[in-house]
Formats: sequence, C-alpha cells, structure tokens
Amino acid sequence: MVKFSIPKGSKKTLKNEETMKKLIGFVLVLLCLSSCVAVKEYEKVYINDPDMKLSATPNERFEVNYQVYREAAAGANGGKTGGGCGCN
Amino acid sequence: MAVEAQKDSTKVYKKRVLENAEVDLLMSYYKQDGDHSVVGGGVGSEKLNDVTPTIVITVPLNDDDVLTIDTGLSAYTSASSSNINPFNSSGASRKGRDDDDGEHNSGNTSGKVSGSPWIASSGASRKDVLYSLNTAYSHSSDDRNLIWGPHVSFSNEFDYTSFGFGGSVAKLFNEKNTELSLKGQVYLDVWRPIYPTELHEYNQYGIDFLTSGYFSDVPVIDQSGNETSLYKPERFSTVSGRNRNSYSASFGFSQILSKRLQASVFMDLVYQKGLLSTPYHRIYFADKPSYYIGVAGDIPNYTSSTNTGVYRLADDIERMPDNRFKIPVGARVNYYLNEFVKLRSYYRYYTDDWGITSHTASLEIPLKVSQRFTITPMYRFYTQTAADYFAPFATHLSTEKYYTSDYDLSAFHSNQYGIGVSYTDVFTGFKLYKFGLKSIDLRFNHYDRSDGLKANIISLGIKFVFD
Repeated sequence: MVKFSIPKGSKKTLKNEETMKKLIGFVLVLLCLSSCVAVKEYEKVYINDPDMKLSATPNERFEVNYQVYREAAAGANGGKTGGGCGCN
Repeated sequence: MAVEAQKDSTKVYKKRVLENAEVDLLMSYYKQDGDHSVVGGGVGSEKLNDVTPTIVITVPLNDDDVLTIDTGLSAYTSASSSNINPFNSSGASRKGRDDDDGEHNSGNTSGKVSGSPWIASSGASRKDVLYSLNTAYSHSSDDRNLIWGPHVSFSNEFDYTSFGFGGSVAKLFNEKNTELSLKGQVYLDVWRPIYPTELHEYNQYGIDFLTSGYFSDVPVIDQSGNETSLYKPERFSTVSGRNRNSYSASFGFSQILSKRLQASVFMDLVYQKGLLSTPYHRIYFADKPSYYIGVAGDIPNYTSSTNTGVYRLADDIERMPDNRFKIPVGARVNYYLNEFVKLRSYYRYYTDDWGITSHTASLEIPLKVSQRFTITPMYRFYTQTAADYFAPFATHLSTEKYYTSDYDLSAFHSNQYGIGVSYTDVFTGFKLYKFGLKSIDLRFNHYDRSDGLKANIISLGIKFVFD
C-alpha cells in the first residue's frame, strides 16, 4: 500500500487521506478482479474505437489549461503538473 | 537457420508504430469575466481573452521511434493584470510612460490621476504572449509491449520562464489488456517579479515615494477623502527568491475489462518549492487604514462596478508558503454501448497540504450520427474547499504569516457544459498538397463558477496525415 506523507497533519487532512486510500484500494481491487480474462486482439474492435481512448483528445488540452488556471486542483488528467505561473 | 528466418520475417512484417507523419493544427479562444480580480485584492474586473494557435508535428523516425514537436503561443489581454499599474490610463504614466517595465519613470507633475479595479488600464501588463515548445521522443520495443522516452519543454512570457524535462515508461501485459506506466517530470521555473506600482515605488523611494518619482505630486486620500501623507505599506518587502521548482511522479494503470469496457487509474505526486505566490497580487488588511488615489466620491462604491475613478493602495502582496505537496488521483471508465453511443466518464480526487480538497467528475457521450460525424454532449462538475490562507477582500490581518485573496483558491463549485462535433475520414479523401485530412474536432464549453466567474471556450483541432 502506498504510504502518503502529508506534512500538515490536521484532522481534516488525515480524514481526506483515509478516504483517498480507500478509494484507490477499491478501484485497484475492482480492476484486478475484472482482468482475469484477456480480450484477444481480434476482439478489440469496440475497444479500438477512437471514442474509447483513455486519453484526452488533442484540443481538450485547452480546456484542461484554463481549468488549471481557474481551479486549485491539477493533475491526474494528462495535463501539466507544473511549469508556468498560471497567474492570469 | 529457421530461427533466423523467423526473426527476419518478424522484422519484415513489424508494423510501424506510426505509419506516416501527422500534423495537428490547433486553436482555441477563451473569454472570461468575473468580479474578483486577484490583482485588486479580490475586487475588480476579471475580463480576460486568450487565443492559442498551436501546431503539433508527429514524425516516425523509423519503425519503432516517434518524435513529437509541439509548439504554440498563448496571446492574452487581461483587465486584472492590466491593473498592476491602474493609474496609467489617466494620469501617472500618461504620454506613454508606464511602470510595468520595472524601470523608473520620473514623475507626474499635474493632472487628475485616477484608476479603478473595474476598468482595464492601458499599461503594458494588460497583454502578454506566452511562447511554448515541447519535444518528446518515444521508442517502442519490437513486441510493442514496452514504450519509453524522454521529453523536454520550454516556455517564456514577460515575467516568467519555465524549463522542464522528464521521461516516461509504459509496459503492456496480458495480451495488451493491461498497461502500467510511470512518468517523471521536473520543471525549473524562474520569475522576473513585477509589483503593484505603489509598492514598487515605495520600495524604491521609501517614505518619500509620494514626493519622488512616479507618484510625485499625486494626492493620496484617506477613507474620508482627505489628502494625506500617512500611506506607508511597511509590511511590504520584495520577494526573496525567484525560482519555482516542480517535481512530479505520475503512475498509471489501465485495464481492458471486457470487449466493451476499459478503465484506467492514475495518480500524481507533485512537490513544488520556491516562489509559489504571485508578486503582483495585492493584499488589503482589515486592521490597516485605507488609502486611495483618485476620485473621493467613488470610495463608498469601491467594491461596486459603479466605481470608475478610485483605486485603493495596497498594504502588501500575496504571501504563500514556499512549498506545496499535491496528490491528485483520477480514474477513467469508457463503455461502448453500441455503434452509435459510447460513454466516457472521469473522476478525480485531489488534496494538498494547503488545505484544499476537490472532486471532479465528468461525462461525455459521443453520439455517432453518420459514418463520418460524431456529436458529443459533455458535462463536468467540480468542487473545492478553500486554501487555509484564503480570505476575501480586506479581511486578512497584518499579523498573519500567509495570505491571499485569490478566488481561484477559495471554496467554490463549478459547472461546465459543452458540445463537440467531430468529422473523421480514415481514407483522408481531401488533400492539401501532400497532406490528407484525417479529422476535424470542434468543441465549445461554457464554464460557470459559483463565485460569479463565467467563461466560454471554443477550440478547433484539424489533423492532417502526410501521404
């Protein structure tokens, strides 16, 4: 299990940390349990549909950019995790 | 011999990672308005326009290697940042003099000087252009189950330069049903700080700044509208460091769950150190007297957009801790309902040690309306708690160590609604010189934040493939 070290140990932060750990664990278990049977290459016609990509489309990046500017949260979406002042 | 022949055969029929060079022409136009300007300490116009022409060129170097060059610019005009010097439209820097460049301009000698957080100033800081260049190289193993590569990035604007580098590796397992990825990035950024005009002059001339330099003979008035020489932002000092470094590690896990369902989970660990505040964000303290330049009659309406003639002088600039640790964790689940309908969902939980937690959820539903056209309605919900250091306009106390009135760090929620239209021609029937048109994507989104900020963004992406 990944151990998160959060310098500021307020009760609220610790509660959030616990919630996050449970969430990560739940999703990982769900995915692992479901991955027992491999889908063959010739069965991936639906999965290979362009709309099924697990990444953002090229011009979605602009929406991610302004969300990074206007919101405190960033990352975990393929967008930038640093660089640039984001100050306008 | 047989093994060698088989190897040769593998080499001959190895599918190229990318068959032909591709060119993506991208453009977006963003427009926003709100009434919590951070340069005005949480009050004032947030009107902003931004245009971002971008080109992405992806070139196969051989069967296994791909080079991506991504370059563009972001040209914006901003009412908020124009008011780093709010006085220049009408007085202190008239005849083209302006203090945004950080150089000394000798003073104003006459005329009525005024400004307003609700009106964009004409100073140099009203607009800027960000230039960026990102280059990435990737190598795929012969069995295409291992992909790795480095990347570098550079961007520059008037007061900020960013240099980044990193690398990524992805491993596919289980007949390419499972993928694990790891990405590391470092950004080494440098500020060239600019300060609100009155603080810049105070720093340069000390208590004589109202009789020397930029503000010479410009009357400062108190809350009652009486002329005074008592304004002394003693809390202000220039920032001690100019660097901002960001270090991040990203982990990804994606899994095909059935013939119609796939999902991924990803997490970033981000650590930032250095100057994390913005040097031109004003702060007004609740326990300090108020001083202004401009029309005394507008002081009672200061926080209303009817104030067109008076600007309050800052007590200090935003102060934030010099380090921040962020943990975003996200998941995507995509489901192929049928030939005409797919579901694309996304969720992210975020926490950091500035006291912010947030949740993001979005859903896109691509609807195939013909062989080549897809219409995609989309919705995104976002909510966050406030940073520990946030307080609204003029409510911070001068005894606090850290403070900001940046509403991007306040508690709010937002809704984003949009629609996308895409055209795809896998046969690239339409040709332009030696390039075939592969796809056109057009997206429009409206953003509505609970503190009143509203924005619209339209983006266009056109992909060509080199024949």
